This record gives sequence, C-alpha cells and structure tokens, in this order.
Amino acid sequence: MMSERIKDMKRFFVEEKKQKGTRKKARDPYELARAFEKARTPDVDRAAERLCTVLDRETPVVYPFEKIAFTRTEVTIPEIFTESEMETLSKKYHIHEKGDVSNISVDYSMLLSTSFKDKIVELEGYIAGCGDEGKKHYWTLQIRILNSVLSLMSRYVEKAREVGNEVVEKTVAHLLSSKPETLLEAMQMMRIIHFTMWAGRNYHNTLGHLDRYLYPFYAHDISKGILSRDSALDLLEEFFLSFNRDSDLYPGMQQGDNGQSLVLGGYDEDGNDTYSDFSELCLLASLDLRLIDPKINLRVSKRTPLERYVLGTHMTKQGLGFPQYSNDDVVIPGLENLGYDKEDAASYVVAACWEFIIPGKAMDIPNLEALSFAGAVRRATVENLSSSRTYDEFLAAVDKTIEEDVEKIISSLKPVYIFPSPFLSLMMEGSTENAKDISLGAKYNNYGIHGSGIATAVDSVMAVKKFVFENGEVTGDEMIKAIESDFENDKILGNRLRYDKDKFGNDTPETNEIADHLLSVFHSALQGRRNDRGGIFRAGTGSAMYYIWHSADMGATPDGRHKGEVIPANYSPSLFTKVNGPVSIIKSFAYPDLKKVINGGPLTIEMHDSIFRNDESIEKVARLIKEYIDLGGHQLQINTVNKDTLLDAQIHPEKYRNLIVRVWGWSGYFVELDKCYQDHIIKRIELTV
Amino acid sequence: MEYGTIFDIKQFAVFDGPGMRQTVFLKGCPLHCSWCHNPEGQSSRPQLMVSYASCTHCDACKKVCPSPDRCIACGTCIYVCPLNLRHIVGEYLSSEELERRIRKDADFYKRNGGGVTFSGGEPLFQSTFLIETLKRLRDMNRAIETSGYTEPEIYKEVYENLDFVIQDIKIFNSEEHKRHIGVDNRNILENARYLRDGDKPFVIRIPLIPGVTDTKENYEEISSFLSGSKNLVRVELLPYLKVAGAKYGMIGRDYDPRDFNPDDVPIVNHKVFEEKNIRSIKL
Repeated sequence: MMSERIKDMKRFFVEEKKQKGTRKKARDPYELARAFEKARTPDVDRAAERLCTVLDRETPVVYPFEKIAFTRTEVTIPEIFTESEMETLSKKYHIHEKGDVSNISVDYSMLLSTSFKDKIVELEGYIAGCGDEGKKHYWTLQIRILNSVLSLMSRYVEKAREVGNEVVEKTVAHLLSSKPETLLEAMQMMRIIHFTMWAGRNYHNTLGHLDRYLYPFYAHDISKGILSRDSALDLLEEFFLSFNRDSDLYPGMQQGDNGQSLVLGGYDEDGNDTYSDFSELCLLASLDLRLIDPKINLRVSKRTPLERYVLGTHMTKQGLGFPQYSNDDVVIPGLENLGYDKEDAASYVVAACWEFIIPGKAMDIPNLEALSFAGAVRRATVENLSSSRTYDEFLAAVDKTIEEDVEKIISSLKPVYIFPSPFLSLMMEGSTENAKDISLGAKYNNYGIHGSGIATAVDSVMAVKKFVFENGEVTGDEMIKAIESDFENDKILGNRLRYDKDKFGNDTPETNEIADHLLSVFHSALQGRRNDRGGIFRAGTGSAMYYIWHSADMGATPDGRHKGEVIPANYSPSLFTKVNGPVSIIKSFAYPDLKKVINGGPLTIEMHDSIFRNDESIEKVARLIKEYIDLGGHQLQINTVNKDTLLDAQIHPEKYRNLIVRVWGWSGYFVELDKCYQDHIIKRIELTV
Repeated sequence: MEYGTIFDIKQFAVFDGPGMRQTVFLKGCPLHCSWCHNPEGQSSRPQLMVSYASCTHCDACKKVCPSPDRCIACGTCIYVCPLNLRHIVGEYLSSEELERRIRKDADFYKRNGGGVTFSGGEPLFQSTFLIETLKRLRDMNRAIETSGYTEPEIYKEVYENLDFVIQDIKIFNSEEHKRHIGVDNRNILENARYLRDGDKPFVIRIPLIPGVTDTKENYEEISSFLSGSKNLVRVELLPYLKVAGAKYGMIGRDYDPRDFNPDDVPIVNHKVFEEKNIRSIKL
C-alpha cells in the first residue's frame, strides 16, 4: 500500500503533472550547433559543451515533500551538428536513429562506488601521468562535465535550504564531497546520474541490474537500523516515481518508449540466483505504484520457484504489460555461442525493450536493421514457386532468399558513426582509463538484426506446402497469381488459406519445424559476418516498429494475408490465426532452438482480464508462464486486456488517461499512442485467451 | 465404439476444477434454462453459427446457399465468408478420436495439477459415449460439469469413472424447478445426494438468476442440504451476466429470458453458507 506521501506525489507528478509548471520555454535547438560549425569544434568537445550548457542552464527545483530531488526545467536539448553537417555525415556514415549513444546499459556502480569529486581526482591523476595531449584533453572534458554536475548540485543544496527541505539539502550536500553510504544517498546519486544522461541527449537510458547495484546500500541501511523493510519500500516508490517526472521530454518512437527498463534476479556467473529481498521490494513497489516506468523485467530459469511467477502474475493482472520474462537457460548459452565471455553472458540485462545486452561492456546496437521474414517468403514464392518441382526445392529457394536479404542488409550498411558521450564513458569498462569514448566502441560492438513477421512467413511456407505440393488444390502459378492480385479473382482460395488451421501457434509438428528452420537459416546467414567495428551480427525475433513498416508495402502472402495488412509484432502468432489456445501457442513458440536468435524478441500473449479473477486462477496463469520458460522459450510478455475497454477508450480517451498497454517491448498509455498502434493492439486481442 | 458430438475443446481452463485443465464441451442438453449462456450446446445436432455482429452483408453466403429456406448445416457458406464469421458447431467423432485429441497435451495438464473436464451442453446426455471416453482416460484426472439430470443408475456409473465433480443445484424446490426449467428435479436431487455422501471431492455451483435462484428460500434449502458434507470443496456462485444472451442470435434464435429481468442484479449471499461452515466463492 502506498503511503499518503507517495500517493500525493503520484498525483502531483503523474496525474496532475504539476512539475511542468517549472519548465522553461523551448530554445532554438541549433544555436550551439551553428557556433560549433563556425568554430570547427571537434565532436567530443561539442558533446561535452552541450551537456555542460544544459546543466549550467538548469534551475534547481526542490519540493518540500520530496526526499529525492532533481527535476528537469530545460525543455530543449541542443543539437551538436547543424542540419547541413548532418547531411554530410549521413552521406558517409550510418547514423543510427538520433545519432547519440542510446539503448545500452551502463555500469552505474562505477560511479556509485565513488564520489563525483573523487572521480575528478582520478581523472586528474590520469592527466598528470600521461603525455598524450589528445587523451589529456578528453579527461579535461570529463572533468568539466563533472564540475557542471557538482555546480548544479550546489545550487540544489542552496535551493533545498531556501525551501526548508533538510533531507534533500543534507543528502545532496553529502554527495558533493563523498560517495553514497545510505540507500537514500545512492538513489539520489542515481537520480543525478540518470538526469545527467538525459541532459546530454543520451536516450533509452536503461537501468540494468538495479536490484544488484543498489543492494549493498539497502543491506547497509537494514543492518544499521536506518531503514526498515517498509520504509525502504516507501523510498523505493519515491525513487520509481522519479522516472516519471521528466519522461515526456525523453525521445522515443511513441510516448512511453523511453527504455527505462530494469532487470531483477537471474544467475550470476557461478550459477547462483541473485534474486534478493530487495528484488522483491522492487516488484512490490511497482505493484503498488502501477506506473509505466520503470519497466520491470524478471530473469528466470528452470530453477525459479513458482511463487516468483505468482508475484509477477499479480503485476500482470494490474494491466501494466510487465513484467517481461527472460530465460537464463536459453539466453546465457545463446550469448556464449555468439562469443560473449561466460561471466559477461551471465550478467546480461535488457536494453530498452528486450534486446539482451551486457552492462558496462557493450556498445552493441541491437536494433540496427531488420529482416522481413514475411517479405523474403513472399519474394521466394513470386520468383521461384513456378519453377519449384518439389516442396524441398521451394524451401531451398526460401532459404536462399533469406540469405540474399540478409546479405543486402549487411552490404548496404555504411560505417556507423555515433556522437561522443564522455559522460556515459565514465560508466563503461575500459573507456575512462584509455580516454576512449564509448561511442567508438567497447568490449562488445555487435549489431542486432530483428526478424519481423516470422509467423506470417511460417504460415506462408506451410500454405504452399499444403495447398500446392500436398493436396494440390492450386498450382504454383495459381498461387502466385492469387497473391499478386491480392486474391481479387479467387476470394474463396484467399479465405481457405487465411482460415486454415495449420498455422504457427497451433502446435502442429510441421509448422513448428518450419519455424525452427527459418530462424536457423537467419542465424546461419549472419554467422561469421563482421561489422565495421569488428563485432558480429546477432539474429533476433523482435520486430520493434518494423512490424508496421514491413507490412505497409508488402503484397498479399500465401497465408491469406491481404496486401498491406499488418503482421504480428515480435514473436507472436499471425493476427487472424484462430489459435487453439494458449497451451498450443506456448508449445509452438518454445519449439524452435531459440538460442540461435538471441538478439531477443518476446512472445506476446494477450489475456482477458477476467482470467485473473482469483488467487487460484492467478497461480494457474503463473504456471503457464513457467511452462513457456521450462520448455525453452526465451522471452515472454503478457498483456491483460479487455477489448471493449480499448474500443471505448478510442471513443472516449478522456476517460482512460491511465489505461496501460504493452506495445512492442514497452508499456505505454493507450490513449497517447498513434491510432495505427492502437488498432494493432485491438486486432491482437482477437487472440485473447 | 461409441460416437458422440462435441462442440469445443477449450485449452487452459482455469475455473473448471483442480489445476490447469482442458475442457471438452459435449453437445446436447435435456434442460432448457432460459438463462443458458451456451445455447449452441442445447441441440445435439451440428448447427451453423454466425457472428452477425461483424457481418458486412456482402451476401456472398446467400449466393452459394443450396437450402435457403432452412439451414441444413451443410457448411457450403463457410469459406465464402471473407471474414470467417460462419462456423459449424458440433463435430461427430469416436471416443478413440476424442481420446487422441485429449492426450495431445495431457502431460502438460498433468504436471500442472490438472486434467480433463467434460462440460456441455449436458455431458450426461451422451452417457455411453462419455463413459467409454472416461474409461479410456483412467490415468488422467477426470472431472465433469453437470446439472446432474440423468437416471441414477447412469449417474452412478459415470461417477465411478470420475475424480472430481462440479455439479449444479439450480433450484431446490421441485415445483419451482419444474416451472422455470421444465423438468422435474427428483433425479437431480437424488444424484446430488449420492454426490454429497460419496467419497469424491466436489463443487456445487449455483447460477444466480435474479428472482429465480437467488431467493432466501433457495439459498437456505441448498445450504441445509449440503451441511456437513465432508467432501464438498466449496460452493461457487455464478452471478448472471447480461452477456449470456450474446450467442443466441448467432444460431438464429431469439434470446428470451422470459421468467426474470436480465437487468436486475442477483443477490450474492455468502453468509448462509458461512453459518453452516461451507466455503463459498463468487466466480
């Protein structure tokens, strides 16, 4: 149960959004960039200068009721390149999304274990002992940033004194000179770090193993009697609330897509379960608050007790669309197969959505590009079905098409250029001591390629197998004609294909095999390939927003899907499949060897809210989730939905401001989504259990 | 070999007995409760079922219909519907085939503390088919959901082949029963007595129909009847939902809740059971 103080804060920050009142006007985003262009400022200097500028412009805001401060007042994060500079850069390089370092997991403990001041001393030490002017300059920039952080902290201390908030005054003052000792100090420092990351336009700033790096502070406070379990929960709830203060200012595809994901539990490198009492408190805090941030991920395995799934299911019942589960038994060996060291693989977290990433050690870009599985199968059908004499020949053509499409994706990639991020580099292994900015690479520099529409692809291959090569209902040419004309002249065939029961998700041996085969072909096509940073490519089952993009221009497919019709998001059954039920879905989707597609991409199941009626049925849902993990599924997210509610929310958004849904790898407020995403979710619900 | 008609096998049933279960719906019911929310389970014959709500009236189905005056459930129209709104409910199959389908995921349910539940319709309405199927599944946890309306000898034979029973007691008073449901409840109560005094765990369900089953007298008679039964797991109260009428139109029937007002909210009375140390929950 939330305390009155937390309830008031939730109302203040989330419902009434009163913190917006302290925000300043938007500024010209190119003002700095023009000066940089004129002065031909090097990129690292630009990044540092931008961050310092924002921090220096920041005005402290301290509320009398808070214990953890820092609220953004600057609306504009300036660009560091002018539009014409960006144009020139884009010609030469692949600029990923906005160009900034994003969607990685830093190692927060690298700063939490020290103080900003001691960090400066450490950097000064490097400068004193080094003759390389370039390196010295880099460390000087990092010191400048830390001084801007400290200066803003001093202004917060003054402000706190002014408004009479002694807790904030004392906590921030402590952090000005010392490292954090208590949980409150650690959380305040985390808040400052996170605030600074966003202020430098880094985005999708994930939270990693929050329950591991904050645990020592929690244990300290409990053993010293500073906090009880209850007061720790209260503090944790305030901390979680802080992720919802400025989140509307964070860049993302849609409101809510901000990557504030944290991961609880999981094996350590010795195979011990790291789930602690503090992990449980994190779950309880999220359960109490019912907010979309931070997004909760649970690492589980065959050894995870049912009770943990039950607690997770209580959270699912709240309709937040999380926790998302990931399976250590599949992910860790999968990452090892890709060349990640054992201890690194064991420390995996998720990036913004579901992409597995190693905290503090990876500058992976897990969402660089995407293969359209459905598009590849369609092309193979149109180009090769006519000449295929047997199903095996057709399947070989599909394989070849996937390989060609993968080749096309890889060979069209220009070298990646990422904007420097000297602040994040302070929390990445090997960056600071070598004065090597994280944007230039880390221990791991792998690229992830999503694979969208696997279900549509499997169903299409199956349809060709069954209708062309087995029962001979149509010839190859007729099938091609049918899909090229969008079934215009043979509507009944279209319907027969569309509503056939041999679909991925219905646990038929053939569709399960085809799925395993196609995923394996994708994986093999990427094997042995190197990217421009010396890293490898990882295959995945995620779609991100590609499920919208890849379906829009695609013609009809042999599974009876119409031209332009949407494909499922991530790793899920086709939207018009009449599935036999959740047991079939789980058995089908756990069947393929998912270690091969470990870039991530969860199975998404929608469940009607009435199934969570009592503790007994909640336990049964928990068992179903456990089954997916025990059967070898890699990742799972569950949406609690009620179609009538969503339809009504489209008509009366004002009544449903707090309605939360899972979109593709994150939860957001339904009424804040663009209509195409809303409609997709409503369609998906047809599969509701 | 016995043959029977089913109209669905529902996976992951969470309210139909212990553990995670699959529920087989047998088609055909001798009762005609006006509040029935599975009207497609009443007739024992296969039927055409249409989701008219999404129909765009393209008339593709009408163009191919060989028997426009009276539907013969031939299925010709099914694949012409662009939205897949038309289905035949009811499939005639052998106990062997049914066993095969149930066994597909049997291990899954077994390791999650469950098994198979036979519902309907009224599963006892196809008793020989049901008994033969149950006998084939001796290694599984077997349950039924029944009204208990059948000859006592048949009931006993089915009971011997079950591990768990979910049984309705709708209306205790025999005249009221006859008035609302159209049949005598003598056998129902005799079978309920056999169940009550038997050695197998069971659940009693009461559909709460406003003014019909939620009366003070009915609650009291049922709770007195159940008092002291040692294998009663609990009583489950199922409040009437207005959406019960949703499927009537789909099989071409009018929904006619003639003897009660569907807008009334039923009275949920746990106290009457509490007083007799009987656990009750609302589903």
